[in-house]
Amino acid sequence: MNKIEAKNVDVYYGAKQALFDINMDIEANKVTALIGPSGCGKSTFLRCLNRMNDVIDICKVSGVVKINDYDINQKDTDVVRLREKVGMIFQKPNPFPKTIYENISYGPEIHGIAQSKSEMDNIVEESLRKAALWEEVKDRIHEPGTGLSGGQQQRLCIARTISIKPEVILMDEPCSALDPIATAQIEELIDELRKEHTIIIVTHSMSQAARVSQNTGFFHLGKLIEVGSTDKIFKNPTQQQTQDYITGRFG
Amino acid sequence: MNSVIFLTIVLLALSSYFFGRKKAILIQSNKRLTALPKFYGYYLAIWCGAPAFLLYALWSIFEPSIVRFFILSDYSSQGLLEGELNLFYEKVKSLSRNQYSGELTAELQRSAEKYLNFRDIAKWSKVVIVLSLLIASTGYAYTKISNNTKTREPVEIFLKGVFFLSSLAAILTTIGIIFSLLFQTIEFFQVIPLFDFVFGMHWYPAKAFVRDASEALDPSMYSDTFGAVPIFAGTFFIALIAMCVAIPIGLLSGIYMAEYASKRLRQYAKPVIEILAGIPTVVYGFFAALTVGPFLKDLGLSLGLEVSAESALAAGGVMGIMIIPFISSLSDDVITSVPQNLRDGSYAMGATKSETIKRVIFPAALPGIVGSILLGVSRAIGETMIVVMASGLAANLTLNPLESTSTITAQIVVILIGDQQFGDPKTQAAFALGLSLFIVTLVLNIVALSVVKKYREKYE
Repeated sequence: MNKIEAKNVDVYYGAKQALFDINMDIEANKVTALIGPSGCGKSTFLRCLNRMNDVIDICKVSGVVKINDYDINQKDTDVVRLREKVGMIFQKPNPFPKTIYENISYGPEIHGIAQSKSEMDNIVEESLRKAALWEEVKDRIHEPGTGLSGGQQQRLCIARTISIKPEVILMDEPCSALDPIATAQIEELIDELRKEHTIIIVTHSMSQAARVSQNTGFFHLGKLIEVGSTDKIFKNPTQQQTQDYITGRFG
Repeated sequence: MNSVIFLTIVLLALSSYFFGRKKAILIQSNKRLTALPKFYGYYLAIWCGAPAFLLYALWSIFEPSIVRFFILSDYSSQGLLEGELNLFYEKVKSLSRNQYSGELTAELQRSAEKYLNFRDIAKWSKVVIVLSLLIASTGYAYTKISNNTKTREPVEIFLKGVFFLSSLAAILTTIGIIFSLLFQTIEFFQVIPLFDFVFGMHWYPAKAFVRDASEALDPSMYSDTFGAVPIFAGTFFIALIAMCVAIPIGLLSGIYMAEYASKRLRQYAKPVIEILAGIPTVVYGFFAALTVGPFLKDLGLSLGLEVSAESALAAGGVMGIMIIPFISSLSDDVITSVPQNLRDGSYAMGATKSETIKRVIFPAALPGIVGSILLGVSRAIGETMIVVMASGLAANLTLNPLESTSTITAQIVVILIGDQQFGDPKTQAAFALGLSLFIVTLVLNIVALSVVKKYREKYE
């Protein structure tokens, strides 16, 4: 079953067109990797899925993006509800300048999810456990989240995102600022999270895409060149450009 | 004459730069230099200008007292008092300028001639000695220049010295001001007990009218005169009113400018707000005194309230308007510098704009915002003109914003306007107030810094 269906998506930054007629289906409870050289539009496409492009004044999006068969690009779409369902992890860990606990409780609080202090405590613990961070921080959850290491900060951001139980998690190069060990931890976590969430990950690293994803889409110069199962894309691509990129001939 | 010498030194130093550089370039044609030719130029220019200028400065400082010593040495055996000698010397000087209109004595005439004579000798010997030092030092340095002369290091050391002296001058001036405040204040407290000043409830310096010197040091003259409580209270009260106006408006407009306003609007609106900061305080003063004050009085009348035309509310309110741009502009800058990825993180959680501002951006920007507020408070406490013009000069101890009250700065103005003399407790009271104000502002700044530091540790 397709969780997300994008049809004829065009994106413009001012007069410059960044995405050309993207059509892509994304399956539920799988990890879909978006790969391609820098500036190919993969992050822009990712940001179309929770309307984060709204934040950028000059950015215009057209086309249809259906999540659970509902077009999120309609005028009256409630972006607050949308983003509650579609969470996002950024390239650089961006914990809020608050304690670890407050970082996690932020989402449940603004969406009114927890009814009591103990319920909130449970959500915080559960989210941190799911993000494989609980054992490391359980003694200092009332200390600033900014005091953690880079890899821990990124897992804190993941815990923050899953605290409101989104159906989809978008990840924009979540490991590019991390060392190999932290990267391995996050990758392991991604595989775990797939059980409950649909994950779309933008990555520069082809080996990462091969390791963590079931499906892969290859973007080049604002166009979706090829999309299919990761196995097929990496072993037997149908397009010459994909073949060239995978084998490292450009990009 | 002095300016001619000064200009000569500067010109010679400038031209020796070219001589030094030229010699270095000549050497360069067959040997390798240890520094760029321009350093040889600087080197020679410093050797030319610095010693001569130093001597010139020292000479100019000490010349008058040496001349005075020679003139007065004729009379030192006559057992005259210091004051009489001073008076005599002043007479000699004015006679030498042909401005003396008193009684002429032979002694006076003789000394005046001697004075002119000495001044002449001093003037010409200064020219000769300074110029010969200049020539000697330049010549010495010029002959020293060769391909392996160290020139970069001396130039760097000289520049370091210049920077050091500049910062030393700034620090010494500050210390000097503090000490002059301190000494006068100590003298003030020798007449007025510290307790009466700090806890006294009546401030009425006009009462300290001294008829003759014998009364001046009699403490009983000043009971119930220099009690600073009313003006301290007035200062903080007016500052409080000002901050009640400035903090909400300034902060909200800063947030609006940083988060909501479109780029175009911001581009035009921000300079307009900042213009407020450029208006001279005296203009705010008559705005408060002539427009706001009477308006509040009329408004009060129509509501059946008694409002003084010169009220703390008028002064504080206008002062608040004056402070708005400081808080708005600074907090705008601080909020704008909160990283975009924090905003993105919050929006991606499904937070609305106002939730993001309230719960993520504001806490992150808090140290800077606290800093801007405390800056505003110290401006409010130090502000003079608006209070002098709009809040009256009577130091009432009141918490009614509709009455007139006075502040530390306004009272300093009151004390130092008109007749006053040094050594009079009334004048010294101004120094005591100045020192108190300085201490209050200093403490405020220290608190501000530590608050900012504390939050910074927490949030970064």
